[in-house]
Amino acid sequence: MSDAKMITLTIEGRQVQVAEGTSILEAAKAAGVLVPHYCYHPGLPVAGVCRMCLVEVEKAPKLAPACATAVAEGQVVHVHSGKALEARKGVLEFLLINHPLDCPICDQAGECELQDYTFAEGRSEGRLVEPKRFNPVEDFGGDVLYVPNRCILCTRCVRFMDDVAQEPVLNVSERGDRAVIGKFEGQDLTHPWSGNVVDLCPVGALLSKDFLNKARAWELDRTASVCPNCTQGCNMMVETRDNMVVRLRPRPNDDVNKYFMCDYGRLNYRWMNRSDRLEAPLVRRGDRLAVAEWEAALVAAAKALDGKRVHAVVSPSLSNEALYLVSRLLERREGTGAFRVERGPEAPLPGVEDLALRSDRAANVHGAELLGFRRSDTPMAGLRGGDALLFVDADPGVLDVTDLGRAASVVVIGTTLPEVLRGADVVLPIANMVEEEGTFTNLRGRVQRFLQARAAPGMARPSWWVLGDLLGTMGEPGNYFLASDVFTALAGARAEFAGMSYDTLGLRGLPVMSPAGAR
Amino acid sequence: MTPAEMGAVHAESHAAHGGAGHPHAEEHRPVFTGAPRAELDALLSRYPTRMAALLPALWIVQRERGWVSEGAMAEVAQVLDLTPAYVKGVVTFYTMYHQHPVGRYFVQVCTTSPCGACGADDVVRAFLEHTGTRELGVTSPDGKFTVIEVECLGACGFATPVMVNDEFHESVTPDRVPDILSKLE
Repeated sequence: MSDAKMITLTIEGRQVQVAEGTSILEAAKAAGVLVPHYCYHPGLPVAGVCRMCLVEVEKAPKLAPACATAVAEGQVVHVHSGKALEARKGVLEFLLINHPLDCPICDQAGECELQDYTFAEGRSEGRLVEPKRFNPVEDFGGDVLYVPNRCILCTRCVRFMDDVAQEPVLNVSERGDRAVIGKFEGQDLTHPWSGNVVDLCPVGALLSKDFLNKARAWELDRTASVCPNCTQGCNMMVETRDNMVVRLRPRPNDDVNKYFMCDYGRLNYRWMNRSDRLEAPLVRRGDRLAVAEWEAALVAAAKALDGKRVHAVVSPSLSNEALYLVSRLLERREGTGAFRVERGPEAPLPGVEDLALRSDRAANVHGAELLGFRRSDTPMAGLRGGDALLFVDADPGVLDVTDLGRAASVVVIGTTLPEVLRGADVVLPIANMVEEEGTFTNLRGRVQRFLQARAAPGMARPSWWVLGDLLGTMGEPGNYFLASDVFTALAGARAEFAGMSYDTLGLRGLPVMSPAGAR
Repeated sequence: MTPAEMGAVHAESHAAHGGAGHPHAEEHRPVFTGAPRAELDALLSRYPTRMAALLPALWIVQRERGWVSEGAMAEVAQVLDLTPAYVKGVVTFYTMYHQHPVGRYFVQVCTTSPCGACGADDVVRAFLEHTGTRELGVTSPDGKFTVIEVECLGACGFATPVMVNDEFHESVTPDRVPDILSKLE
């Protein structure tokens, strides 16, 4: 960027300086001016087929497509001049010729660029009197449904499959008003990243089967978060309706996932809405677990851990904050901590460097390792006879009853209580990752924040809160009021996180310090 | 409507358009062996890229098989290092590649404005009646004829022009139709 020649031009009366070779559309974005567009997408090659981004360039004989025209020194660009507006109005009228205008039953309504631009700049009434052409809905395979009548043939989906997924199964079939997005018989959108075509589609032509008819776009609350389903740490939006997660969508981050998110991550959200959750602290009374107040439960937990070596089995999807507090508890009790990672096949997105669904299907494997937890296929092996077992939301698959027999006491901190742990001494309910705030460290050592998207059930509290209060009850300084306080303490205590805070992380994250002290 | 039901709607409409959903799903016999292969190789030597030979390659397929099936599209894609989806996009773009089998004699009647003014519709009706096809684009029961309307054949001064395969007839009137057809095997 620094050695590129800079070009100065004027867009809508605002002077802006951009690198040589930048498109007018991107330069306008830098100047804070939105040029309406359909086929252009920053993550895809430029096609210049929709003609929506036509702008007036002074001294040029005709309107120029802003997405495919490079900036020039001294250029004066008008995005909202009469000529440009009229051109866009014409484009919109043509796009709506065969469009069914079925916004009331369309999933895209409310987040549809055709709807938005027509409302902003289009004609209020159509002039078409001929019948509209009709094409039936088609199942494209994977999670994708194609509604050709709503399609504006911007070819974003075709270019994504060709150039980014590099599995070219889509095409533009037929021509003229019969043209539709087609695919070759028997070749479906089964690529592990093909769900992105639904996000890329600017209109309601490509729909998610999973999200079909579930919610109106304007009913959704959106929360910035990080995908917890593998170690890649794709930035995402958690979209909730009535405290239920109904959709996960990618949130752009140039350093991690560009504009994309894999189907596995995107569709693996139902566990976030689980209703068989732990809702109250439980303390053993004879042969049963009885509901207790938080304070009593924390005292009971501290007592169960007191005077014993502690072995912690943790989930590798806990936040850095929670894992840091567990590590401090282990330091105090001279304990050990281990975790097991569920694995699956790796699925790269070829068009983007270093982006893949990683085989480690947990969010914070790197963070757990940095904080001193040992990765193991048998994390229970570290439990010696007479140890206290601290089980923090780990996969119950690592346990069997004979393992538990070795433990002098068992404290469970978790979102659910699996059958095999019914013999625990104390059970403390925590929020899951969409119900609390925190950070994950992805496989490249990038620390990224996620925010709270829904309320935790019953008396369940954020994991950092529960662990902090447990430390406090054990006599350590540990009562924190905010997740950011825990993170600040972590940054002060661990060299890799030195100098970081929620403010400096922002919503795009920062890489951890290397042992040499470099980011 | 569930996706499954929508799929069903789609299958039905396919049936309505061109006979059964996928009537030609039988195994594809390769076109590019022997002479057609040599012809394609000669073509390839004339172009800078393999992709450039796509249209002539499809013409070879249509000449050899009478139409371009999905199996043939996949074969063309394979020999030209393209994707089947790309080849299908090209085949469906051009109206002169047949995506369904047609009769041995493919009758194209010009019905553009000048011919239309000179009674081309009557010529079309006569062909439909005498070939026994009854409907545009449908192949006669004996597999001999398919009749379609086309845009301008470039003989506006000699309305109505008709093409039967590669043979050109000018100034065709309904009463000449039986005569034209009787000369065809």
